Amino acid sequence: MTEYNRIARGSYTATTGSAQYVYLPFQPNLVKITNYTASAAFAQHGIPQAYWDVSMGQGFASVLLNSGATPTLITDVVTSNGISTFGAGLMLQYGAQKQIIGATKASPIVFNVTAHGYSVGDWVTFEGLYQSATTGMPQISGMPFQISAVGDADHFTIVWNGNQSNYTALSGSPAGAYVKKILYPDLYLPGVNFISAITTGTTTTITTTTSHNYRTGQEIAFRIPTSWGTTQLNSLPNSTIPGSPIYGYVTSVTSNTVFVCSINSTGYSAYTNNPTVASVPGLSFPQVVAVGDVNTGGDLYTGGALYPSPSFPTSSGGVSTINGPAIRGAFVNNTRQGFVIGAGSAVTDASSHLSGTTSDVVYWEAIYSDM
Amino acid sequence: MSITTTGNLGPMILQSLAPAMLYVPTPTMNNILICDKVSMPPNGGTTMRFMRPRALVPPTIQLGNTGIDPPAQVPQRDIIDAQMAFFGTGCILNEQVILQDQEGVLAWVSERLATAMRQAEDLILRDYILSAASQINAGGGTNGDNPTNLGASDFSLVATTLDTNNAYKFMSGIEGMDHFGTGPVRSAYFMLSSTELQSDFDSLTGSGFLSQWNYPTNASALPSEYGSVYNIRILTSSEAPVARAFSASGADVYYNYVVGKQAVTHIQQDGYSMNLIYRDPYYSGMLAQNATLAVKFAQAQALTQDTAIRNLACTRMTSLGV
Repeated sequence: MTEYNRIARGSYTATTGSAQYVYLPFQPNLVKITNYTASAAFAQHGIPQAYWDVSMGQGFASVLLNSGATPTLITDVVTSNGISTFGAGLMLQYGAQKQIIGATKASPIVFNVTAHGYSVGDWVTFEGLYQSATTGMPQISGMPFQISAVGDADHFTIVWNGNQSNYTALSGSPAGAYVKKILYPDLYLPGVNFISAITTGTTTTITTTTSHNYRTGQEIAFRIPTSWGTTQLNSLPNSTIPGSPIYGYVTSVTSNTVFVCSINSTGYSAYTNNPTVASVPGLSFPQVVAVGDVNTGGDLYTGGALYPSPSFPTSSGGVSTINGPAIRGAFVNNTRQGFVIGAGSAVTDASSHLSGTTSDVVYWEAIYSDM
Repeated sequence: MSITTTGNLGPMILQSLAPAMLYVPTPTMNNILICDKVSMPPNGGTTMRFMRPRALVPPTIQLGNTGIDPPAQVPQRDIIDAQMAFFGTGCILNEQVILQDQEGVLAWVSERLATAMRQAEDLILRDYILSAASQINAGGGTNGDNPTNLGASDFSLVATTLDTNNAYKFMSGIEGMDHFGTGPVRSAYFMLSSTELQSDFDSLTGSGFLSQWNYPTNASALPSEYGSVYNIRILTSSEAPVARAFSASGADVYYNYVVGKQAVTHIQQDGYSMNLIYRDPYYSGMLAQNATLAVKFAQAQALTQDTAIRNLACTRMTSLGV
C-alpha cells in the first residue's frame, strides 16, 4: 500500500570493476539505474539504463546496452553480479566453498581457484591447506585475509609471507583445500585483528591480514603466542607493575592494513610467521585488539555532513556507517542493509559494466513496494 | 443403509482451535547474562565513555635517610568509548485480522515482537564479542585439527590466563556435601558455549567435567548451565557462535566466550531499553484500516576489561546427531 511503500534515490561516481553498495533503511524490491555519462556518450559497452525487480532473482538485471562499435541501443540482461539486496545483521555468514587448485610458495601468496569471483578487498578464509599430511600451508587456515590483488578470473593474492621453510606450494587441487568469502566481517568495529608482520624499533609497525579499522589514538593490546616471536608486546605479564596491562597507542595509520603504534620494541624478539606444519593442531594466531582510545571528538569535517559518522576502513576508501557521529576509536555498530549494484556484464558484451566505468555519474532509484 | 454417519451428516464446523498456543522454539539467551549493565543518561550524546584508572607503580624502593622526596608519579587512565545504536521492527495489522481471527493476534504478535527484540539484543552481543575478543585455539584435544576439540587442559589454560590477568570470577565455589555422586564446584568464570558441544563435555566426565546435576546443590546453577570444568562453569545455547566448515580440516569451529566480571558491558539508552508501540488503526489513513505493533530499543556494548575475556575456539570430537 502506498502508505507503507519506501522510495529512495541518490547517485554515485563509478569506478570500473567496483560494485557499488547503497545503504538504506530497507531492502528494495525494485531498483532503477540511469548512467548519465553512458547515456550522453552513447559509446560501445555503455549501459545507460538498468532495471531490477526482486522477482528476477538476486544478481540479475534487465539492461539497455550500447552495443557494437557503431553503437545501437539494444536490450540485454545481466545474469551474474547484477543487482542484489543485502541485510548485514549477523556474522558467521560465508560465500560458497571453492576448491583451491594451487598456491604459490611466495610472498605474497597467489592462489589459483577457478572462477573465484572475488574482488580486491574481499575477506576470505581458508581451510585444509595440506599438500600432504605433513606439508602445505595449513598454518594460515582459519585466519581471515583480505584479497590484495586479483590476477585474473582464476588467481588472487593475499599478503602473507609463504616463502619460508615450513611452507610448501599447493598443487593438483589438494583434497579438502577450500577458500570461501566472509560475507559480513565488519559489523562491529574496531575489533580483533590478525597480524601478518611486525617491524620493531622505537615505534612498532604492525601489518594486519585484513583492514585493521583503527584510528590514530586507538589504544591497543597484543596477544602473541610464543611460536610467533614478539611476545614482549603482550599486554601481560608486566614486570614493572605486576598485574597492570601494558597498552600501546596507534600513532599513525599508514594504510588500511598497516599502522604504527607507540610501543618501543627495540630489542624485542623478531616476529616470525613460520610455524611448522606439525605445530598446527592447537596453533593460536598472533592478534592485536582494540581496548580503548584517547580521542575526544568525532570525525573531522572534510565537506559534506558537518558531523560525519565513522567510516571504515580508516585509511582509504572508507564507507560511512549509518549511525550518527561517534568518538574516533569508539566501538561502533556497522550493521546495515540496502542493495548492491554489481560490476557484472551484459550477456552479449563482456566488456560492459553494470555499475559503470570510472568517472561515470550514475543515478539510482530504489523502491520497496508493500503491495 | 440406515446408519447416519459423518459421511452424510458431518459437523458443520470441522475444526476447533486448541486452547493453548504451541511453544516457539527459542534459543537460550546467555550473552546478556555475563554483561555489566550501564544506562546511558538522557541528553548524553551519542557515545558512552568508560574510564579505568591505571595502577600506580608500587613504591617498593626505600626512601633512605636523605629527607628528599622521590619524584611524583603521574596517574594515568584508560578510556573506552561505545556508540549507541538504535533498532526496531514491527508489524502492520489490518483491522479485519484483528476483528476476525480467533486467536488474539495482538497478544501473540506482541509476545513475538518482544522475544525478537530480546533475541536481537543477545545476538548483537554475541557478534560484538566475536569481533572484539582475542581468540585462543584449543589445543588440548585429540582430534588433530586446528583448533582441536576441547580437552580439560584447555579449560585449565584459559582459567589460568584469566586468573593471571587478575580477572574477577562470577561465582564463588560450592562446598562439597555428603550427597551421593556429587562433588564440590570451584569458584568460576562463565563460559558461553554451544549446545552442540554438550556431548563433548559429557565425554570429559571423569576428566574434570562435573554435570550440573552432580553439583552438591543446584541453588546457584543457572537454567542454561550444563556443568563445570575446573574453574569454568558452562552455559550452553543453540545460538552460540559456530563457523561452519572453518577449521584447518574443514570442521565446524565453535567459539566459546570465557568471561570474568565486567569483561563486557551492555549499555542501554536511559528509558529506552524497550518500547512496545501499538498504534490504533485510527492513525493509519482515511478509513483507519491498519493498526501497527512494533518494538524499538537502543543498545551499545563494549569490552570494558579486555584482560578478563578470551574467545576459546574449538572443534568437536563427537559426531553430531541430526
